[in-house]
Amino acid sequence: MNGSAKRIFTFFLLSLLIVSCAPQTKEEESSESVEAVLAPEEANGKFPYRRLSTYGFFDGEMASLSPSAHILPYQPASSLFTDYALKSRFVSLPEGTQASLAGEELSLPQGTILIKNFYYPADFRKPEGERRIIETRLMIHEEGGWEAYPYLWNESQTDAVLKVVGAEKEVRFINQAGKEQVINYLVPNKNQCKSCHNKNESLAPLGVQTRYLNHDYDYKSSTENQLAHWTKLGKLVGFKGKNAHPTLVNYEDSNQALNDRAMAYLDINCSHCHRAEGPASTSGLFLTYGQKDPLKLGVYKTPVAAGKGSGSHTYDIVPGDGDASILLHRMNSTEIGVAMPELGRTSIHAEGVALIREWINQMEKK
Amino acid sequence: MENKRTHPHHSFEMIRSLLLLSFGLFLFSCSNQSDEQTYDSSNLRRATPEEVEALVEAFILAEDTSTIRIPEGFYELKTQLILDNKTAVRIQGEGMDKTVLSFRELKSGGEGVKIVGKDITVEELSIENAPGDGIKAQHTDGITFRKINVTWTNGDKSKNGTYAIYPVQCKNVVIDGCIASHSKDAGIYVGQSEDIVVKNSLAFGNVAGIEIENCDRAEVYGNTARDNAGGILVFNLPGLPKGDGRQTRIYDNDIVDNNHENFATPLGDGPNGNTVTMIPPGSGIVLLAAKEVEIFNNRILRNKTYGVAIASYQVTGFPAEAPNWSPYTSDIYVHDNSYDRGSFLSLPDLSRELGQLVSLYNAYGWLKTQDIIYDGIWDESVSASIESNPMRICIQEPNLESLRFTRFYLMEGEDNIDSFSDASPFQQCKGPSGDKLSLNSPKRTN
Repeated sequence: MNGSAKRIFTFFLLSLLIVSCAPQTKEEESSESVEAVLAPEEANGKFPYRRLSTYGFFDGEMASLSPSAHILPYQPASSLFTDYALKSRFVSLPEGTQASLAGEELSLPQGTILIKNFYYPADFRKPEGERRIIETRLMIHEEGGWEAYPYLWNESQTDAVLKVVGAEKEVRFINQAGKEQVINYLVPNKNQCKSCHNKNESLAPLGVQTRYLNHDYDYKSSTENQLAHWTKLGKLVGFKGKNAHPTLVNYEDSNQALNDRAMAYLDINCSHCHRAEGPASTSGLFLTYGQKDPLKLGVYKTPVAAGKGSGSHTYDIVPGDGDASILLHRMNSTEIGVAMPELGRTSIHAEGVALIREWINQMEKK
Repeated sequence: MENKRTHPHHSFEMIRSLLLLSFGLFLFSCSNQSDEQTYDSSNLRRATPEEVEALVEAFILAEDTSTIRIPEGFYELKTQLILDNKTAVRIQGEGMDKTVLSFRELKSGGEGVKIVGKDITVEELSIENAPGDGIKAQHTDGITFRKINVTWTNGDKSKNGTYAIYPVQCKNVVIDGCIASHSKDAGIYVGQSEDIVVKNSLAFGNVAGIEIENCDRAEVYGNTARDNAGGILVFNLPGLPKGDGRQTRIYDNDIVDNNHENFATPLGDGPNGNTVTMIPPGSGIVLLAAKEVEIFNNRILRNKTYGVAIASYQVTGFPAEAPNWSPYTSDIYVHDNSYDRGSFLSLPDLSRELGQLVSLYNAYGWLKTQDIIYDGIWDESVSASIESNPMRICIQEPNLESLRFTRFYLMEGEDNIDSFSDASPFQQCKGPSGDKLSLNSPKRTN
């Protein structure tokens, strides 16, 4: 086949592939350099934009991630482990709108955008030093509900482009122990986002929930409860003080009770799937913060569809014996098919494993 | 002499026992293993990276009522194909031997293909080497798998994935003309779903061929389950959002030669907490905590341990209490099947407890393959005696006298195991004979 025949053939195959999907052509990309392909883009209010810069979230150099006046930083009390990536998070509430709070239920207005940047410092002992931003995930509250859009940063760190099919990036850094660490970072494809951000098969925020935000944040000028701060700015109604709403601890805070820390860890890392409204409801293993039923927590519970994930073990949790527990076995593996969570982790979270092991080990044996 | 040997007769018995045992163990170690492949994908055109990316994008951008056509070729995917919350989408390849989606390079994600939506059809393609499950559908009302082949091509099966075709928490499931092979758990696994048809499909080389778990109203017919460790399984497991499932009918199937080794755990390792790891090689049909199951007109041939096992969850030894669930198997109607215990050389399994129970304690003598076994565990709050058939087990095979039926007695622990060949307590039941029967037929007493 000569060159042009080959091109025609490829075109034919591609058109067959997407024949009746009416694709949004603006999202089509080639594997060529993104800068070369992308024409300038106007901020016309029709989301998603192709380029992250079009949203105008950040002042000055993009890579500084310094928020413009209309976006607010936030941080959940406990955070999801994503291969040691650091995250800087912001929320954009449309001008003149307010979020509202009733008990645990936080409602964000249509047009809200959650902005989560994933980056690695060159040296984790100097987190404020040189860094590489890998991706920015946006969750946009559209008319029909939440939508997730992954943006992949370029090598020169000047911008990021929408990449719905996901990507793979090798990341090198010096870890806390001063050792070089290499991680094969996986940017999820757009539909994989919902593997975690899933509440009754609708896309839903994870970190932006009452129990995570009902927690202090260092706003530089002062340290303040985030929900109180939003209220003061006129961005939130319904906040009745910290104690009137649910909260949980930071699992990294070793001054807190072990059980609270472990439950906070399982809540933010596992319960997005492992709850009645999540995709892993199939397993009957429910790892939400308030879970009190030992069987649902996995105590002497046999697995269902775990396959090789069970290793040589019988129960999800064997009180007093972390290393005989499937829960720990799956946290402590990087093998696909065994490792939990299924997405967002290609390395072992040693500190998380240690915490859950200690928690199971101190459980009373039957 | 103080140190007197055992009685000569005993000693003869013992030698014979040992011989038999070691012969059995020898046969076990020769247990079947299959790496048979239905198609060879190695000569297919390799799809270009752009085509693969376009395929991933087609799933993401799919709109309701559209068709995603996947041309002939071998697609090497590094990310999952996920169809999310779409209605009336058809995913169509050009044939099981022509369109092959390979997930060998997948780096994260629990399954190769994931479907959520309504009225979705997947047809005419193959899925290979997904590290977790092959294709999973969840929360989908109306999911049809037609002529798809899901398999693993590794020679070493220990790395194979869990389920090949895996609808869970779905309604109106149809699996028609599919092939599922070499999965480490069940080839075709339907879990926590309602209104299911599994027909004209082939499951081979899996640990379990076809498994219906915590499901309501499943019709399983016209299938072939061969060369698995267990052919067709109907289970209810405790502690799941959907409790006991009921009303499964298994008919007109070929359930043959299910003598494959159980490779759900590494060879030499015992079972773990996954129930399927306990299935002895040589199992035709296994009912575990099953409710309202009818089994008829099947050809149940050459399964070396037993043709049909009727068992309660207590045989697993796991905690047997959970809400909306009972560990007992009840309302079972087994009739008009044909059986063949195979060659006298194919001895029952000794590698799993249930195999050992059959081998050593059946009512016909050591190492005798059984046609139908019943663990005989009953709910004593229903009746003090099993003679009244409290779990309503109805067995009406035309020539039962030529079959081997064993009821065990296990309720006083391992030291007092007993067995009985008398099936009469389970024959005093009325069921219209032959043709398609209403599921109410076995429920004679209530």
